[in-house]
Amino acid sequence: MAYSVLILDDDVDFNSLLTDIFEQADYIVTSLTDPTEALEVFRNTDYDLVVTDHKMPDMSGAEFMELIKHIKPEVPVIMVSGFMENDTIRSLISGGVGGVFLKPLNIFSMLDRTVELIDEAKRLKQNTQSYDVALNEGAAVEVEARGFPFGSFPCKSQSSIDFAERLYNLRNFKSTLSLIGEPGTQFRLICEDIRNFYENEKEHFIYLSSGSFDAEQVLSMVEKAKLFKAERVTCVLLGVESMTGAQKRLATVLSKCVGVFESIDIPLRTIFCANGDLDALYDEGRIDEDLYILMGTAEVCVPALRDCVLDIAVLAQQMVVDIIREKGMSTVSRFEASARDFLSKQPWDNNYEQLRLTVRQVMESNPGEVLMLSAVTSALQSAMLASPRARFEARLSRARVDYVRATSILLGGDKAKVAAFFGTDTTVVGATLK
Amino acid sequence: MQQHKALILRSNRFLGSYLVNKGLLSSADLDSANEKFMQAIRSPELLKNASILTTLLYDLKMLDEARLLDHIVEEYGIGLIDLNQVQLGSLPSTELDLSLCWASSTIPFDKVEETYMVATCYYLSEPVVRHWEGLLNGKVVWYGTSMASMSRGLERLEDVLAAEKAVAEGDL
Repeated sequence: MAYSVLILDDDVDFNSLLTDIFEQADYIVTSLTDPTEALEVFRNTDYDLVVTDHKMPDMSGAEFMELIKHIKPEVPVIMVSGFMENDTIRSLISGGVGGVFLKPLNIFSMLDRTVELIDEAKRLKQNTQSYDVALNEGAAVEVEARGFPFGSFPCKSQSSIDFAERLYNLRNFKSTLSLIGEPGTQFRLICEDIRNFYENEKEHFIYLSSGSFDAEQVLSMVEKAKLFKAERVTCVLLGVESMTGAQKRLATVLSKCVGVFESIDIPLRTIFCANGDLDALYDEGRIDEDLYILMGTAEVCVPALRDCVLDIAVLAQQMVVDIIREKGMSTVSRFEASARDFLSKQPWDNNYEQLRLTVRQVMESNPGEVLMLSAVTSALQSAMLASPRARFEARLSRARVDYVRATSILLGGDKAKVAAFFGTDTTVVGATLK
Repeated sequence: MQQHKALILRSNRFLGSYLVNKGLLSSADLDSANEKFMQAIRSPELLKNASILTTLLYDLKMLDEARLLDHIVEEYGIGLIDLNQVQLGSLPSTELDLSLCWASSTIPFDKVEETYMVATCYYLSEPVVRHWEGLLNGKVVWYGTSMASMSRGLERLEDVLAAEKAVAEGDL
C-alpha cells in the first residue's frame, strides 16, 4: 500500500526535489509552498507523514509542526533545513519531530527514517485501538467473555490470559497452591482475584507475611473467620522465601494442618507466594526440602510485566483511575499515545510495584488531563533512582547478589564455603542472599 | 545415594508438577504421593527407591502406566523399550554410576559410536533429561520404559556390573 506524504517548502526548487525523491520511492505526494494552505489541506486529508522546511517567511517549521500536532498528533513530522543550531534540533526533537535533516540531504537516511516513522505510527495506532477497546468496552464485557472476574492483570496479552485461566482452573485446589513470581509481583491482588472466583461469602482469605506470621496469629484469624461464618479458610503466605526458619517450618505444619494447627476444625488451604525460582531458592537454602516439594504440588508462575506488553498501558490507566478515586478528583487523566508506548517498552524489573510507583509519581505532579511522555519518563527515572551514582550503585549491588547466589548454588548452598570463597564471613553471605 | 538427593527431590517435584499440569493426576493425589515420597527421602534405607512414580503406580494406584507411556509417545514421539529384552552391561569408555541410575530410574543401555541409547521412566522430568544429557555430552537417543522393566533392569545391571568387576579383579 502506498503511503501519502505532505511536503511543505516555500523554496519551489527544493520542494520539487523533495517531491521527486518521495514519488520515486512510491509515496503519494502533495507538495505545497504556503504553510496556511498546507494547514488547511492537512486538516482535511489523511497523511502518513509530513515533511516541512524549517525556515519559511510567514511561519517557521516549528510553528507549523505545533499547529498540526494539535490537529492530528499521531502523524509523524520530518524537518529539513539548510542550517540549524544543536539546541534548536534538540528542542525540535523534544517537541515531537521524528527526524531533522540538514541540506545537502542524505536521501537514503531520510527515506529510511520515513519508513521507520510510518511503521511506528501505525503500530502506535494499533496499540491505541486495542487500548481504547480495553478501556471503553469495560470490565463487564471482559468478564462475560472470559467467564470469570480477574483484576490483577487486564488480560490483553497471551501470557496473562493463560495465567488467569490456569488460576481459575486451579481455584478449587484442595490443600496447597504456589504462586511464583519475580520481585514486585502483585501477589495480594492475585490472591484477591482467586477469592473473587467464588461468589460464596463463606470463603475466607487471610494474609500473612514474615511480620505477621506466627501460630497464635493464624489461630486467632481462623477463629475470627469462623465468627464471620467462614466455611473454608485460605491462608496466603506472602514472601515465603523471606520468612525465618521457624516461620518456614510453621508454614509446612500449617499447610498439613498438623501440630499446633491440629485443632483447626474447618477446611484450610494454603497459598505460598514466593519471589524467585523455586529451584534457585532451594539451592540457596532459602526453602527447605519439605517446602520445596510442598510448593511444587500445584505451582503457577506469575508472568512478569515485560511478558505482558499489551497489559502494561491498560494496567497503568487502571492505576490512574484508582488514584483519581482515592483522591476524589473529578477528571480522569489519560496517557497520551507516546507515553503508553513508552510504558509498554520498559523492562519493569520490579514489575507491578515499579509501575505502581511510577504512575503514582506521575499523578503527584498534577499532570492535568493528558499524561505526557515527559511526565512518565521523569517519574520513571525518579522511581528508578534519582542520581546516576545511585543507579550505578544499584547495578553493582545487583551484580554482587547475582555472584553470591551463583556461588551459593555451585557450592550446594553451603554458606561457610561461599564465605570462604569470597573471603568474608557467613553473616555477610546470609545478608546478601536475603 | 545421598549425593543424588537433590536430583531425586528435583526430578520428582518436576514429574509431579508435570503430571498435574497435564491433567494426568490431581493435586490431591500428588499431595498424598509426596507425603510418602518425603518419608522415603528421609530414610537412608528407602532413599534408593524414593519415587513418586512408584508410589503413584503401585502404592496409591492413582496413575495408569499405560496411559502415561501413551502420553510420552504421543507428546514427544520417543520410542519405548522393554529392558528385559536388552543385554545390559557396562558401555565402552563410559563409567556407569549405578546409584545415579537408581536415583533417576534411568539406564544407558547401548552406545553406537558416540551416541547413547538411554531408557528412563522419568522422561517427563526435565532435571533427569538435562542431567543425563549433560553427563553424556548431549548425544542421547531416549526411550521410555515401564517401571517394572526399569526395576528389573536395574537389579540385573547391578548383578552384571558386580560380575564384570569380579572378573576384572580376577584378571588382575
